[in-house]
Amino acid sequence: MSFELVAARKSYGGLAVLDGIDLRAEDGSVLVVLGPSGCGKTTLLNAIAGLCPLDSGERRGLDQARFSYAFQEPRLLPWLTARDNAAFALSGLMDRRAALARVEPLLEAAGLCDAGDRRPAELSGGMRQRLSLVRAFAYPADVLLLDEAFQAVDLKTKIELMDAFLGLWRRERPTAVCVTHDVEEAAYLADRAVVLSARPARVVDDFAIGVPRAERSLGSDATMEAEARLYRLVLGSREAL
Amino acid sequence: MEGRGTAAAAAGRPRPPRLLVAALSALLLLALWKLAALGVGKEIVLPSPERVAAEALSLYPTPRFLEALLATFLRGLAAFGLSVGIGALAGIFSGLSPVFEAALAPLLTVIRATPVLALILVALLWFPSGAVPVFAAFLMAFPVMATSAAEGARAADPRLLEMAGLFRVPGRQVLLRVRLPAAAPHLVAGARSALGLSWKVVVAGEVLSQPLRALGSGLQDSRVLLETPRVLAWAAATIFLCGLTEWLFGLAAKKALRHVL
Repeated sequence: MSFELVAARKSYGGLAVLDGIDLRAEDGSVLVVLGPSGCGKTTLLNAIAGLCPLDSGERRGLDQARFSYAFQEPRLLPWLTARDNAAFALSGLMDRRAALARVEPLLEAAGLCDAGDRRPAELSGGMRQRLSLVRAFAYPADVLLLDEAFQAVDLKTKIELMDAFLGLWRRERPTAVCVTHDVEEAAYLADRAVVLSARPARVVDDFAIGVPRAERSLGSDATMEAEARLYRLVLGSREAL
Repeated sequence: MEGRGTAAAAAGRPRPPRLLVAALSALLLLALWKLAALGVGKEIVLPSPERVAAEALSLYPTPRFLEALLATFLRGLAAFGLSVGIGALAGIFSGLSPVFEAALAPLLTVIRATPVLALILVALLWFPSGAVPVFAAFLMAFPVMATSAAEGARAADPRLLEMAGLFRVPGRQVLLRVRLPAAAPHLVAGARSALGLSWKVVVAGEVLSQPLRALGSGLQDSRVLLETPRVLAWAAATIFLCGLTEWLFGLAAKKALRHVL
C-alpha cells in the first residue's frame, strides 16, 4: 500500500520534533529515512503507525493499514524457542499451528531453519536480529516499520542481516519504512531515501536510489555513488545548523 | 555460548560429589554433638545422639505422635496455602497498581515489625488454640509472599510488553507468555520463603497455644517434664517435616518453572 505524510508536525511540550515532514512511500517499496540520532525518527515511525497523533498535517492512505515492527533490539521472549517467538506475534490472528506453518518458510528464507528449536540465549546476536525480522515479516501487514533494526551488530553481520531483510522483503513485498542514521544501509536497501535534518526534523532531500537491486553491493561503484550523495546531504545538513 | 561454557567447566573439573560431602558434614556434626554430650555428661542438659535416637524410635510409632504430626502438618499446609494464595493476589495487585501498593504498605510494615511472639499472644485471645499457629504463621509469611509477588508482577520487560501490544497479542497470551514467565521465579522464591517460615511459626505458635494434637505441644510438654531427649526427638520431627516439604517443594517448583519458562 502506498501512503503519504503531508506537512506533518509534532512537538512535545513546546519542543518541536517533526517540522513539516512530507514523504511518500510507494506500494511494495523500501523507503529509508536517514537522519542523525535523536532527530525524531522514532516519532516519525510512531506518527506513521498512528501511535502518536500529529499536531498538524495529514496522514494519507493509512486509515486501514496494518503495521508490523522490527526494533533496534530483537525483543524476543527468552523462554520461547525461535519458532515460537516468531509465532507469538501472530497469536491474535491465528492458532499456534497455523502461525507455525506461516513462520516456517520465513525462518528458512532467513537461514534460521536449523535454529527453530533454539532459545534466544542460544542464538548469536545476528541470528536474534534476523529472527526479529522473521517475526516482523510473518505478521500480515501493509506497512513494515523498522526502527534502526540493522544496528548494534558488526559490519559482516549487518550485511547478512540486510540480505536476510531483502530476501524476506522480496517474498512478502510489504511497503517498508526503515529509519536509520547509517548511510550504507540507506544506499544498500532503499528504493527511495529521505534525508532528515537534526531536530526539529525537516526533509533535506528526498530522492530515488537509481541503482537496480541486482547491481547493488557494498563497495560497488554505483552503490558508492549513492552513498556519496547521501554523505554530502547528511554532512551538509549538519553544517547548516 | 552458555552451554559451551558449562560443558567446558564440566570437562575440566569433575563435579564435586555433593551428596558425599553433605553426608560427611552431617557425620561430623553428629560426632561433635556426641563429644559435647560426653563433655557435659548430663542427659538433662545435652543427651547423646544415640539416646535421642532411641527416644525417637519409641516416640514415633505412638498414636499421640502420629496425630500430632498430622495436625501440625495440616496447620503448616493451611498457613502456607493461605499466605501464598492471599499474598500472591495482594502482591500482584500491588505490583500492577501503585494505589493498591500504597494502601497495602502500612499493613505490611506493621505486620513485618510485629514480633512473632506478640502476634501469637494476641492471637491466643482471639482464636481457639488450634487456629492460633495458623493465624500467626499466615501473618508472618503473607508479607514475604506479597513482596515477592509484587516484584514478580513488575518483572516483565516493558519493551517486551510494548512489542506484544504492537502486534496486538491478546491479553491472555501476554499474561501466559510474557508476564507469568517473568514473574514465576519471584513467585517461587516467595513461596519457598513462606514455606520455611510457616513451619517455624506454626510450631512456635503451638508451643504457646498448646493445642491437643501438635508437635509444638509435644515439645513443650516434654520440656516441662525436663525430658530433654524427648524434647529433641520432637524437635527432630519438626526438622524432618520442614526439610521434607522443602525438598518436595523444590522438585515441584523445578517442574513448574520448566513448564512456564
